[in-house]
Amino acid sequence: MNPVNIFPLIGVGDVVIGLSLGSRLFLIAVGLSLIFGVLGVLNFAHGALYMLGAYFALSVVTNVVDNFWLAIVVGAIAVGIVGAAIEVVTIRPLYERAESDLDQLIVTFGFVLITHEAVRFIWGSQPYSTPMPDALNFTMSIGGSQFTAYRLFVVIAAALVMVGLWLFIKRTYFGSLVRGTSSDREMASMLGVDVPRLYTAVFFAGSFLAGLGGALAAPMQSIGPNLGEAVIIDAFIIVVIGGLGSLSGAFVGAMFVGMMQSIVPQFFDAGSIAVPFLAMVIVLLLKPEGLFGGIGE
Amino acid sequence: MTTVLRTEELRKQFGDLVATDDVSLEFDDQHVTSIIGPNGAGKTTFYNLLTGVLQPTSGEIWLRKDGDMTEITDAEPHEVARSGLSRSYQITNIFEGLTVRENLQVARIAHEGRTFDMRSRPDADEELNEEIDDLMELTNLTEIAETKCDTLSHGEKRNVEIALALAIEPSVFLLDEPTAGMNPTETEEIVSLIRELNRDIDATFIVTEHDMGVVTDISDRIVVLAEGAVLADGEPEAVLSDERVTEAYLGSETV
Amino acid sequence: MSTQNDGLVDRIGNVGRQAIGNGWTTERFALLGLLALVVVSVGPQFQVYLFTEFLIIALFAVAFNLLYGYTGLLSFGHAMFFGAGAYGLAIVLRDYQSAIAEIVGTGLAPLATFVVGGIAGVALALLIAIPVGYLSVRLEEIYFALITLAFGMLFYSLLLQDPYGLTNGSDGIFVALGGVELGGTEFRLAGRRIYYYITATVVTISIYGIWRIVNSPFGTICKALRESPDRAAALGINVSVHRWMTFIVSALFVSIAGVLIAGFSSVATPNEAHWSMSATPVVATVIGGASYFGGPIVGAFLYHYVRWGISRFPALEAYWELFFGIMLIVVVLYFKQGAAGGLAMVGAWLRNVQAAYDRGGANAATAFVRESIGEKLGSMMSRSTTGRSDDGGTDR
Repeated sequence: MNPVNIFPLIGVGDVVIGLSLGSRLFLIAVGLSLIFGVLGVLNFAHGALYMLGAYFALSVVTNVVDNFWLAIVVGAIAVGIVGAAIEVVTIRPLYERAESDLDQLIVTFGFVLITHEAVRFIWGSQPYSTPMPDALNFTMSIGGSQFTAYRLFVVIAAALVMVGLWLFIKRTYFGSLVRGTSSDREMASMLGVDVPRLYTAVFFAGSFLAGLGGALAAPMQSIGPNLGEAVIIDAFIIVVIGGLGSLSGAFVGAMFVGMMQSIVPQFFDAGSIAVPFLAMVIVLLLKPEGLFGGIGE
Repeated sequence: MTTVLRTEELRKQFGDLVATDDVSLEFDDQHVTSIIGPNGAGKTTFYNLLTGVLQPTSGEIWLRKDGDMTEITDAEPHEVARSGLSRSYQITNIFEGLTVRENLQVARIAHEGRTFDMRSRPDADEELNEEIDDLMELTNLTEIAETKCDTLSHGEKRNVEIALALAIEPSVFLLDEPTAGMNPTETEEIVSLIRELNRDIDATFIVTEHDMGVVTDISDRIVVLAEGAVLADGEPEAVLSDERVTEAYLGSETV
Repeated sequence: MSTQNDGLVDRIGNVGRQAIGNGWTTERFALLGLLALVVVSVGPQFQVYLFTEFLIIALFAVAFNLLYGYTGLLSFGHAMFFGAGAYGLAIVLRDYQSAIAEIVGTGLAPLATFVVGGIAGVALALLIAIPVGYLSVRLEEIYFALITLAFGMLFYSLLLQDPYGLTNGSDGIFVALGGVELGGTEFRLAGRRIYYYITATVVTISIYGIWRIVNSPFGTICKALRESPDRAAALGINVSVHRWMTFIVSALFVSIAGVLIAGFSSVATPNEAHWSMSATPVVATVIGGASYFGGPIVGAFLYHYVRWGISRFPALEAYWELFFGIMLIVVVLYFKQGAAGGLAMVGAWLRNVQAAYDRGGANAATAFVRESIGEKLGSMMSRSTTGRSDDGGTDR
């Protein structure tokens, strides 16, 4: 193929789709990266928490109040509480152990199995969909392609989460505690930071973000018990490419994978699944700390 | 008297910090040399350079191997060990989950180059186990041979530490703070063990040690490091009466 | 080594004496295991079928544990070798059966194709494991888990998207083992009992092979790497090369299990290589007890039969994953020795009860039982109040 012709083939529409996919992926991955950056725990159950966010929002909308925005907030907080409970009961006892990284991975994998079955038990195996809020349920035309306004809203929401989180980490007192503890846990502890409580708070925040992502993305995807297992792998790819523990890395990684998913299939069909994994392998081999720096960057 | 280990203007920098400052030293096959110096003087970095854990910024390291001096500057830790330089660790580093005997089997298998042998069985290998029995006799481990190391006392673990390093029959033996964390009785035992080893085994001993009693007890020669550089080098009495040495020590201790 | 010079008959005699002598020796376990294999073979056909699958999972888990429990590397991509074995067999069966028939004759062709396919599966795994292992062992801990996951999924996506028209995409390849004609009688290789004999033989030999490896100098070095890689390096061991070799050996045995599963389920699909398949040996090994050689076997047994047992109760439907999720957490947090460790403890306890009975009759035995249970409860209480978990002084 003549290289000159490549660019006209990527329409504005593809870029918007890529951004939209990337935004959803960012919302999945950012909490995972936050938790790893501060606690050093790779939370295998993060995708399961994302899935719970979608289900919780769904239940609020269908059973409690028909208010989409309230459902998102309730869903995210509820998932945050679940995450904090997981941390306190099953992960906290492991910090003291030497070389506990693999144990943490296995314990959180246990929650992948548990959540999967719990969701089937409560909601059944059938797929659900959440209706879009009326205010955003209309189509727009960008670059000749049609989009629902809700997709654009999710892009904006992801950007807001990124900026908000960045300001929170950089500008608030709690953010400075988080940064300090992530770079030197023992020092922070000696300076009087209540490390266990901070860890639980960060786990809450990371899980909250997972729940938020799941609830926000609910109208754009079908919700089923396998959702968590599907998205956790995407989340792993993203945080590895961006750098485990890096927030801006999670953003760039998510946008990269989103663009890959939107653009690559047009050139070679076989690549859309393989390319992100290939990118993950290459980053791990060449720059295992990821393409971007630590928690504050 | 032959030289077995030599460094030539060995230098290691971490950014602007010079951890090892053009150290040129020779070690011969007869004397026990102690390397001393205040905390942060660069002893650990020097050891890590010798053993291949760190790569020097510049300079060279030469080791006598099969009768000839061979350059090992860029060698990896396992290559250094295979060339005959063995070390013990300041913070005990043994295979905690294995028994004392298994620990020594690991070292002997490595020494004999049988790490890829998938067919024989170490437990049934009489020759191997006889060698290990002798080694355990020498290092007072016979009674705890079948005990798992994570249940041993600190002093016993220190003995395993030394036995492991000895098991690969080194020509140069680096001991890193052999008495660290020991009570006076245990310290005395280890000192007499080192003396005994120096008498019985054909190896060059290099020791870092903070206990001055131990240092004067075992050393034929003392090298003082300060801020990465060699401050003094010579016979114990001469070195310890050197004013610059006292200054370096007192200076650091009053801080 | 005195046994080396003895004749084969003497050695077998030795093993036999060990097996029927006093005490729970390894030989006795091995003998009982072999007996169980024979007993199962005459059981109801469905049980034979169920047991065959258990054996395959057991081999998968034992081979995985060579890398995890013995060497300290957690791979989340071993399904790639499981899949490689399955596809190697499937592709040879599909494309080369007639070519092989021309060489060996139609009567033996199905058996010969099965053998060639098996070798192809193992060779394919070897071809993948050499470069993948070389690259992966440069990383440690979760980074190793992540890179093996990525490699595994890369392989999965190749199987699924089938860029070379070789793997038939998501449908996979049908695996039809034919019938062998020998002296007028026909054996259907895929017949449940015949396939059970094949599986039992291959799995027994493979597990024995792995057992020899972990008890060889090679295996001793693996354990050293698990305990302290830098100390091992300081003794002259080339850590990354040894890890690489272990990775390859582990992959080869996993691929044998993969070959067997393709023949067992009559199909090779990309699911065999999916990461959730990589989780199977992780779950089985952790629950069974990674610090015991037999741990993954016990774990695979639980994994397989609990799953089957739960599926028999309509009320529970198929909520077996819930059970394993909880088991996984409980074992990692409170009982690192797993089910095999539990069995060993119960065995030791029963021997103590027996000893008490021998000493002072029924009363002494009852007293011992009461006392030891009280002690155990007491220690559990104190453990939960201190909040510190015990890793059980495992052989890890």
